[in-house]
Amino acid sequence: MAVTSAAAEAVGVVWDQAAPLEKSKPRRVRVIGPAAFSFGTVFAGLRSLIQYSDLLYVLSVFRLSVRYKQSVLGWAWAALQPLALMGIYTFVFARVTRVNTGGTPYSLFVFAGLLPWIFFSSSITNAVHGMVAYPSLLTKMYFPREIIPLSYLTAGVADFLIASLILAGLLAYYHVAVTWNLFYVIPILFILGAFAAAVGLFFSAVHVRFRDIGLALPFVLQVWMFATPVVYSLQSVPARFRKLYLLDPIAIAIDNFRGAVLYGRAPDARMLAVAAGEMILAVTFAYAFFKSSEATMADVV
Amino acid sequence: MIDLKLNRVYKKYALRSDANVPKRWYRGLRRRSSEVWALQDVNFEVQQGAAVGIVGHNGAGKTTILKLLSGITSPTQGEITIRGRLAALIEVGSGFHPELTGRENIYLHGAMLGMRRSEITRKLDSIVEFSGVEKYIDEPVKRYSSGMYVRLGFSVAAHLEPDIVLLDEVLAVGDLAFQAKCLDRISALRKNGATIVFISHDLASIYRVCDRALLLDRGRLLMDDTPRAVVDAYQKMTFADRGTMMERELDVERPAQCIGISFSGAGLHHPIRTGYPMIARFAYHAAMPLRDAIFRISIYWPSGYLCAQLTSEASRPGLTIERGEGEITFECPLLPIQPGLYRVDLVIESEGRELDSRERCATLCVEPGRPAMGDFYIEHMCSIRRDIPHTNCTSANQS
Repeated sequence: MAVTSAAAEAVGVVWDQAAPLEKSKPRRVRVIGPAAFSFGTVFAGLRSLIQYSDLLYVLSVFRLSVRYKQSVLGWAWAALQPLALMGIYTFVFARVTRVNTGGTPYSLFVFAGLLPWIFFSSSITNAVHGMVAYPSLLTKMYFPREIIPLSYLTAGVADFLIASLILAGLLAYYHVAVTWNLFYVIPILFILGAFAAAVGLFFSAVHVRFRDIGLALPFVLQVWMFATPVVYSLQSVPARFRKLYLLDPIAIAIDNFRGAVLYGRAPDARMLAVAAGEMILAVTFAYAFFKSSEATMADVV
Repeated sequence: MIDLKLNRVYKKYALRSDANVPKRWYRGLRRRSSEVWALQDVNFEVQQGAAVGIVGHNGAGKTTILKLLSGITSPTQGEITIRGRLAALIEVGSGFHPELTGRENIYLHGAMLGMRRSEITRKLDSIVEFSGVEKYIDEPVKRYSSGMYVRLGFSVAAHLEPDIVLLDEVLAVGDLAFQAKCLDRISALRKNGATIVFISHDLASIYRVCDRALLLDRGRLLMDDTPRAVVDAYQKMTFADRGTMMERELDVERPAQCIGISFSGAGLHHPIRTGYPMIARFAYHAAMPLRDAIFRISIYWPSGYLCAQLTSEASRPGLTIERGEGEITFECPLLPIQPGLYRVDLVIESEGRELDSRERCATLCVEPGRPAMGDFYIEHMCSIRRDIPHTNCTSANQS
């Protein structure tokens, strides 16, 4: 190596000894043009997302390790939030007024609804605020931006799993018989997670430009929660409104999640298909929208 | 092969990104032109293995080009083609999270740059060693000094094995030893065929690193030539309006004052050229007699480093100066410095005390004279002898 300055020798590093640089790899050609909304970006975006899949993993782990740093209770917070809400809703809806739960203890009933709802709402909230929490990430570095909201979603999955342990404990405590239909929660949660990703991507992309999203989000989610059978059952909704509920994939997912866990009920296939269809449409649109606005996020954040 | 290509690239920024919509509409009604073109019709290509420097004033569009190339933002019009893996060393370390340890940040930062975890694990030791922060690698980076921060950031990026490297002022940070390491690493990358795009206000390092340079001004590409030609043009553009000494009121209270400086070649109107004589005239005013006086002219590289000094002490130590105005003449039989524009400082000292100093008060413009590469022209002769056995020549060399 010809260029080895005196100063480099002084600190004892000579580049000859460094790992030889790999040569003659096939090179990828990228063409960057003006941003435009197109569904074609979805495939290109997914391809680069796969390339950066390790970043999604590292960032998700990092969300979890940073979130509970310098907190005494640490991971217990993942379970405390749904437990506290369970307590207050149980007081309101089992003591103050009565909700028809089909014979299940209300606390268990509401916990089984709160669990997926909190996963959905906190993933979206974190994704939207996380997008602008470190503006220097947007203005100084390039990586597929959707990794930021998605990493909050995967961190939300971890919180969901921790809180699920509490749910399992409650099921055992109330001697609820678990059936094979429990496995239906897997497609149900997949639809829920994908829909959370779609909503999170869409809102976080808009939030970069218009911070109104962050301000509106708490009450939008509050209204959405009461419009979803979380603290009450879908059966207690008057039949003429029930059709409207079935347009909301979150309502379908939460009602069927509870059905599969508490009552061992298999979901209605047609309902699930509708939710899955809506989910695919929403994810495709939200991702294409995100990709089109990604290109100029650094300029407006 | 062409690694980078910018084809009619335009980039527009909205000046007010005021997200308050009614206010914006109101303003939009009143005045339309709330946007600025950071780049206009920029076209260039970079061959594989080339090192291209970009110079220009602040706001000329240099950083915008790097942001476009690295994919941080996209052009308003036009097309950019990039062939290969690209590493952007723009404000390295900005992806670090203060709460995480150095080691965790290496993984985070590496992954952001597009490295696989397995690749990072394989290179971890080398990254840590290069950064020189071994002792603190398991401490949160919030306890790091800013130098350690940047060193770790550069170290991660330097291990990316990129095909194309974008550098933005990274060499301005870190101590001298680390800067030397960075330059070595860049040379190593170049030897392996990496393409380099380099932005710096340190014009000397543009010479050192690049073999081609671009001059940008207000978003337009003005020049695409050798580094020396581009740096000269850039300096002429910068200093054109400040060729002479800056005016200052004569202050009779001061014991001594610098009142002027002029440079010329052998004759008064001769140009100043490398390898030819130069005369500098230093005009002063002394309000009282000065003992042990020293007059000093410091000549600075464009980068701000001291290049050379002319001082009366060298030929006339213990100089005594009468009251009143006068002129000290410095005669250089041969000017060894390279063509270019230099900034000049003037100092008057007496009995070890600085009586007056004028910093960067004038420019010295050296024109091409005798051909010279490198930093200086060394006066030399050569002669030819023939019919000597070849062995003689080599043995003389080795002894």
